[in-house]
Amino acid sequence: MSDFLTVDGLSRHFGGVKAVNDLSFTVKEGEILGVIGPNGAGKTTSINLVSGVAKPDQGKVVFAGGAVTGKAPHLLARMGLVRTFQATTVFPERSVHENVLRGTYLSRYPGFFAAFFNTPRARKLAAESEALAHEVLEWLGLETVAWDPAGSLPYGYQKTLNMAIALAAKPRLIMLDEPVAGLSAEETDHVRDTILKVRDRGITVAVVDHNMRFISGLCDRVVVINQGSRLAEGTPKEVLSNPAVVEAYLGKSHAAAYGQ
Amino acid sequence: MFSPAVLGQVLINGISLSAIYILVSLGFTLLFGIMRVVNFAHGAMAMLGGYALYYIYGEANLPYLIAMPLAAASVAALALVLERLVYRWFYQKMFQSMIGLLGLDMALVYSAVIIWGPHERSIPSPIDTVYRLGPLFLSGSKLVVIGLAAVTLAAFYLFTHFTKYGLAMRAAAQDVETAEVQGINTDRIYMLAFFIAIFMAAMAGGFFAQNYILSPFMGERQLMMAFIAVILGGMGSIPGVALGGLILGMAESILGTYFGSTTSVFVTFGAVIVLLIVRPWGLLGIPENR
Amino acid sequence: MKTITADNMAASQKQPHKADEGSTRQLRIKLVLGLGLLAIFIILPFLGLSGFTLSLATTILITGIATTSLHMIIRMGHVSLAHGVFMGLGAYAAVLSVVKFGLPFPIAMIFAFLAPAALALVIGPMLLRLSGKYFVLVTFLLGEIIRLVFVNWQSFTGGSNGIFGIPLPYEGLADPVAFYYMTLIAALLCIGFVARMLQSDIGRIIDTIREDSRLAECAGIPVLRMKVTVFVIACGLAGIAGGISGFFIRYIDPTSFSIVQSLNFVVMNIVGGMFQLAGPIVGTLFFVILPEFLRGYVELQRVIFGVCLIVVMAFLPTGIVGLAAYIRHQLSRWFK
Repeated sequence: MSDFLTVDGLSRHFGGVKAVNDLSFTVKEGEILGVIGPNGAGKTTSINLVSGVAKPDQGKVVFAGGAVTGKAPHLLARMGLVRTFQATTVFPERSVHENVLRGTYLSRYPGFFAAFFNTPRARKLAAESEALAHEVLEWLGLETVAWDPAGSLPYGYQKTLNMAIALAAKPRLIMLDEPVAGLSAEETDHVRDTILKVRDRGITVAVVDHNMRFISGLCDRVVVINQGSRLAEGTPKEVLSNPAVVEAYLGKSHAAAYGQ
Repeated sequence: MFSPAVLGQVLINGISLSAIYILVSLGFTLLFGIMRVVNFAHGAMAMLGGYALYYIYGEANLPYLIAMPLAAASVAALALVLERLVYRWFYQKMFQSMIGLLGLDMALVYSAVIIWGPHERSIPSPIDTVYRLGPLFLSGSKLVVIGLAAVTLAAFYLFTHFTKYGLAMRAAAQDVETAEVQGINTDRIYMLAFFIAIFMAAMAGGFFAQNYILSPFMGERQLMMAFIAVILGGMGSIPGVALGGLILGMAESILGTYFGSTTSVFVTFGAVIVLLIVRPWGLLGIPENR
Repeated sequence: MKTITADNMAASQKQPHKADEGSTRQLRIKLVLGLGLLAIFIILPFLGLSGFTLSLATTILITGIATTSLHMIIRMGHVSLAHGVFMGLGAYAAVLSVVKFGLPFPIAMIFAFLAPAALALVIGPMLLRLSGKYFVLVTFLLGEIIRLVFVNWQSFTGGSNGIFGIPLPYEGLADPVAFYYMTLIAALLCIGFVARMLQSDIGRIIDTIREDSRLAECAGIPVLRMKVTVFVIACGLAGIAGGISGFFIRYIDPTSFSIVQSLNFVVMNIVGGMFQLAGPIVGTLFFVILPEFLRGYVELQRVIFGVCLIVVMAFLPTGIVGLAAYIRHQLSRWFK
């Protein structure tokens, strides 16, 4: 497997606070990578820096062989790097179907004039994106609620919809920011199955979360972040047995207990 | 042109203008910080302060040192009624407050036109004397503005730094969420902050009316200056507002004297627009989202 | 930082269970109502009404172009307090083209579109980056700056005296009915353009941007570029409204395009309803006709405008149109 996304020496400071400090890791094509760390470790900032939502002070990001450091999110999305947000971000007033349609912008929008005059090409693209939306809904098991307003769905469904919107942009790499935060065990299992389905379609996945159990049950490899830098990297098993990781997660006393 | 006499005059004018702007914009930022309302009716409150002073001091001839606070307090008291009627619907709704209070501003300004007519009036000055200090000529009336504003600002500072309610208010202004968690966003804090904010605005309006002009439309300028001072300093930042008001008053006085008032407006507004675009959170503010 | 979103605005209103259901039916109702309104405007001159009524109708059409173009900006989540000034820019561009440079009327109207559109293109990329409240403040200041330019560039704009005795573009337009129909055609083209845009995928993108610009960006939508495109078109259309009004009133001065005018447009949009094109149309009808019942009480009109704004913002975030839909919904439940 080749390196699909390379993050090298990424840093971002907020008024003296080093939110992310010299962070490096790679995502290999076709894998599920977990990015994990205790609260406040800089996970969300890292994903913001990689996805272009925030600009790094230093460091570079290389995606699919090209430098993409600091590029705007919509340009990254066009290249195939799409992310979700931590708090469920869906369009709550709109139907689930409309939500997913909005995610198909990249394959749908024919340009201002074609859209305005609804040219044959625009109609063809619209029909295709309709089909794509339908496919994504079916794929993630959302077709039964397709016409419900997104805001009325249970939280777990909203998280899935969140992913569906991102998938509608036809990503090659999808980055998920805390996809199971606030979910029940059952819903968490559902999300895990969905992520596995996504990977089976050949989409590379990077998952950011602090839920160690969820990540270790899902990911091929794990990167542990603490205080803005990489603390450890490896298979879930390797990482879990790393005393530094346990200490960062549970504090010194627990680490000692864990060691016994 | 750059003689010490003129310079002194520019300085005094600048400081008294700054004092007025700081008073207006402090209240504006306080309301924004605590209740998240963008008070587009702030200028109208200043205008009402002007009319209150006109009647209480100009017509009823009460002693100035009593009339001035009384005028401001009576406007603030009236504003408390408006707080119950209008403002409370807009708390923590920034966008709605902006447009709704624009409506309040319209209603107040044109009510004033109906009641008092559109013509301009003037308020007699408490001291007509011009003091001479070396080469400087100091207008007594401006000195009074500076003095009273200084006392008010000092009182505001002491209140917000050394009293329980003041500290709570300041905490709420700097960070609503923390304040909410600590449970200090009570009705009482709101009313208190509201009273203080409008008191200062009305006082500034009185000063302005007395030194420049009193008309139903005088508030527009106050409002605009409050905007600019707040933008300069950073929305919600109290020290920022003081700095913003100071820069604004001095710039207006200096540019206005040497280059004319139009240039002064162009330069000030232009600078603010540039600042907004490169640093929307202001000179002393903090960016909203990281 | 979110600006305006439909969800926090309309939170008080219960949505029908299936969010998109009936949208075609609603569309049909709107189409019928729109065509009915158009029919009234077409036959209006034949109703034997006074010249005054005809001039009021012309004013409605001109104002309608301005408010519907502002609607596009508001739909993106930005409330511009400079729209009246952009309209004024169009008015000055058109009138000066004719008065100073002797250009023919159609060319003048092209300049009426291009001048504000060009300014919007230059400042749009900077302004539209700002979040809601800052955008409002900057457009407020910008309006003031442009107004000062109108006042101070005396040799060109006639300063605060304005420009008097603007000639009619064509002899034939001396007939108020002819001018009325010309305005009607222009309004039809402009409002039709806006309606088509909002109905197409561009409208979907505009709503997406307002409801969550961050999510829109991550779905690949070039948010800033879309915003600038729409802003430029909207300001250009306002300029056309300004150009027509210059030749209609045959007098322009800075105060006719001041902040007060901008505010009127905002009021009409918001009281009519922010999130549907019907909103500004209803708002325009309401706020151009209503004051005629209060002629001679200009101040009282504005007090009422103000109170309307307060009430709508506090209790009816979706405006008159939203209220109408709500009542219809309730009635249909009642009679079922």
